[in-house]
Amino acid sequence: MDLDKLLELGNQCIHLEPPVCVASCPIHMDVIAFVSNIEKGDFASAYKIMENKMPFSRLIGKICDHPCESMCVRKDAGGSIRISELEKTVIDLGYSAPKKPLLLPKTKGNVAVIGGGLSGSVAAVELDKKGYKVTLYEKTNRLGGSLWNYEGKELERSVIEEELLVIEKKGISICYNTEVLEEDLHNYIEKYDALYLGTGTWSKAYRINPDTFQVEKLSLFIGGKIQCHTHSVMDSISSAKRAAISIDRYITKTSMTASREREGIFESKLNYTIDTVKPIDTVVKASHLYSNEEAINEAKRCLKCQCDACIKACVHMQRFSITPDRYIRSIAHNERIVLGNRSANTMINSCTECGLCKVVCPVGIGMADIIHTTRESMVERGKMPLSAHDFALKDMQFSQSDSFSLLRPQPSKEQSKNLFYYPVIAFSAYARGLYKGSGKTGYLFYPGCQLSATHTEYIGEIYKHLVGVIKDKDADNDVGLYLGCCGAPADWAGRLDLMPESIEKIRKVWEEMGEPTFILACSSCASTFEKYLPMIKTISLWEVLDKYGLPTTDIKKGKRVLSIHDACASRHNTVVHESIRSIVKTLGYSIEELEYSKEKAKCCGYGGLVSCANPEQAEEFAKDRIHESEQDILVYCAMCKDAIVKSNKRAFHILDLIYGTQNASQKMPTLSERQNNRKQLKRQLLKEIWNEEEGHAMNTRYDFTLHMSDEITAIMEKRFIMVSDIEKVVDHSLSHQERFFNPDTLDFLARLRLQNVTYWVRYEEKGSDITVKDVYSHRMEVVEG
Amino acid sequence: METKIDTQIPWICDKCHQALVAQKVKVRYLEGNFEVDLLKCPTCHMVFISEDLALGKMLEVEKGLEDK
Repeated sequence: MDLDKLLELGNQCIHLEPPVCVASCPIHMDVIAFVSNIEKGDFASAYKIMENKMPFSRLIGKICDHPCESMCVRKDAGGSIRISELEKTVIDLGYSAPKKPLLLPKTKGNVAVIGGGLSGSVAAVELDKKGYKVTLYEKTNRLGGSLWNYEGKELERSVIEEELLVIEKKGISICYNTEVLEEDLHNYIEKYDALYLGTGTWSKAYRINPDTFQVEKLSLFIGGKIQCHTHSVMDSISSAKRAAISIDRYITKTSMTASREREGIFESKLNYTIDTVKPIDTVVKASHLYSNEEAINEAKRCLKCQCDACIKACVHMQRFSITPDRYIRSIAHNERIVLGNRSANTMINSCTECGLCKVVCPVGIGMADIIHTTRESMVERGKMPLSAHDFALKDMQFSQSDSFSLLRPQPSKEQSKNLFYYPVIAFSAYARGLYKGSGKTGYLFYPGCQLSATHTEYIGEIYKHLVGVIKDKDADNDVGLYLGCCGAPADWAGRLDLMPESIEKIRKVWEEMGEPTFILACSSCASTFEKYLPMIKTISLWEVLDKYGLPTTDIKKGKRVLSIHDACASRHNTVVHESIRSIVKTLGYSIEELEYSKEKAKCCGYGGLVSCANPEQAEEFAKDRIHESEQDILVYCAMCKDAIVKSNKRAFHILDLIYGTQNASQKMPTLSERQNNRKQLKRQLLKEIWNEEEGHAMNTRYDFTLHMSDEITAIMEKRFIMVSDIEKVVDHSLSHQERFFNPDTLDFLARLRLQNVTYWVRYEEKGSDITVKDVYSHRMEVVEG
Repeated sequence: METKIDTQIPWICDKCHQALVAQKVKVRYLEGNFEVDLLKCPTCHMVFISEDLALGKMLEVEKGLEDK
């Protein structure tokens, strides 16, 4: 993994990008922090925030010309936040006299400030703060300059005097009644290490560098009105502060320009939109200033503009309270650890890799690819927690084994001849389709492992329907069937080592069958095919059904409203979105679209194997999703239905609607039932469609009968324990008498290590009836003997 | 992996009809090898792991080792 490149990408995240009000404030007052404190009624802290960036804040806060307000995002949703009015109230309610300044030795150099007006006074205190001995030359007998224009209006005389006194108190030397003219300037330049000129007007027009305020390469720096040519108080202060930075850099001989791109007014990359913002009108002040309560209410209108599009959309980022910039730094840190705890492992395995963050991100940062590469890197370095994906990978292995895997071309005419008689041939499109058998497999129906496991009863029906409708329009191409697993779990788990085997198997089948088009029912299969098998032409089952026609089971108008939960793996597949909607409407339902649909689909929590690695996180995904709509949910991915139904929300797979089972079960099969369903499906299809009996016995037969309550079944699901595991433990304990006995309860407790897990079963034995009372497991191996 | 085990348990070995005794037992996971006091049958050496231990301390240590 190229961590430097990754970190660079993290730096592009604009989560910390300032809002436009801050970017348009020449001195960058932290408006969000300021307003947030007001909202809490903490005016003292709000004043401190102001004071942080604004010199003489008790004065400036009252006369600030607030360029921020015209930029405020709230402008078109009730009116800009009245930041300048809030400043005035904060001064009145939050000001406290500063502590006596600590007089530090001024050893960095001597600087002269010419002009004791606003910009000169600001430059003087800023340079004093930086450790310079400052001498201030003022041609009149008082400081403040244009500040006095506000006397008796915005500013009281006593406050002006009190505030300006601070300059003297700091130990800055002030020479009153000293006018400095152009012809004297060289004397001052010679005498001082640097010079700040802030007299408002000047007889000679110098060429001033607009970024550093320096005059050529001289030790002369000019700010205030002479430089900015405006009457803006804020421009004046900003130029003085920035000139002071330049003087410090000039004297200490550091770069005059490095890292100063964002001084003064700059353009924020943050483009906060108000599409979903409810307008709220500006709070009108009852007297000349906002009252405490009015200020709080006005502050509450602030949108606190910050880019949080991905966080708002993703419960995973919410759960770990993280933004892409910090997420990426955590990943880089996790990758670099040699000795110690990799604390980000769980987080990395809790992302569904659904890709929504990338869709909503204004700068296009997507965590899915990053997480994916990280998981691959963890696996490669042997640092992937074994338990995270173990169950899902074992389940995948099952689906790829002969227990489920099945490949058959369309039954030949010869095989099917007993169907070719009246009335079957007249009424069954399937029989007609078989009659037209060409022997060339043009299509291969690939329902995938999870649909086959959870909606088993539909698979054979769909297959027959496909043969009927496809052969009717396209007599050359037969429709074959292929049961198996595409390998998506291995891909999610970052198991690059397992992918070639899965992929190679499918590719060989495709070649052997004469390169048919795969008809895919599962969105995750579609993603896997696109990524690893781009040579194979695929089409979604939903597109086929929409194009070639639905089984005529339950089509009538005026059914109820459903909300469609799009599969996240299909977010960029508009054909699938349209086909699904078209089918739903054809069936007579109306649709209420969710806020996050189609391209912006939210994951149900199954993606990325999160339900295996972090079940609690997976539940949060499902809960977040179901709260989006009052309506029942329509899905077209088996695992989406599973996740939503488990969250106690009614959900239907589109096949439930197509086959008219509107009251389709809201109970999903258990993990054990799923594997059984896959086995049964294979056997059923072989018998029903190809008239074949499966060679080997279905399940191992035991001499006992297991009994499990719903409670135990629920525990097994939670702990990823299968019925077959329990059977093996009990069988071993009976045949080897390896078990513990509890004389008080007459229960037995037995254990057996199966591959890398030790399973424990507590049970009651009555003849051949075994009632399971508890099950648990551990991965740690206990060395007996 | 340090554990305190409850020696007052009703379970006995069904095959040997022996009460269980606390003894040092080797356990291992990934790169971790430990010796811990666990209850076992003194005759056939079958080791008893309670649900609390498996889902508590043991799981915690497993997760810790997985994150190392």
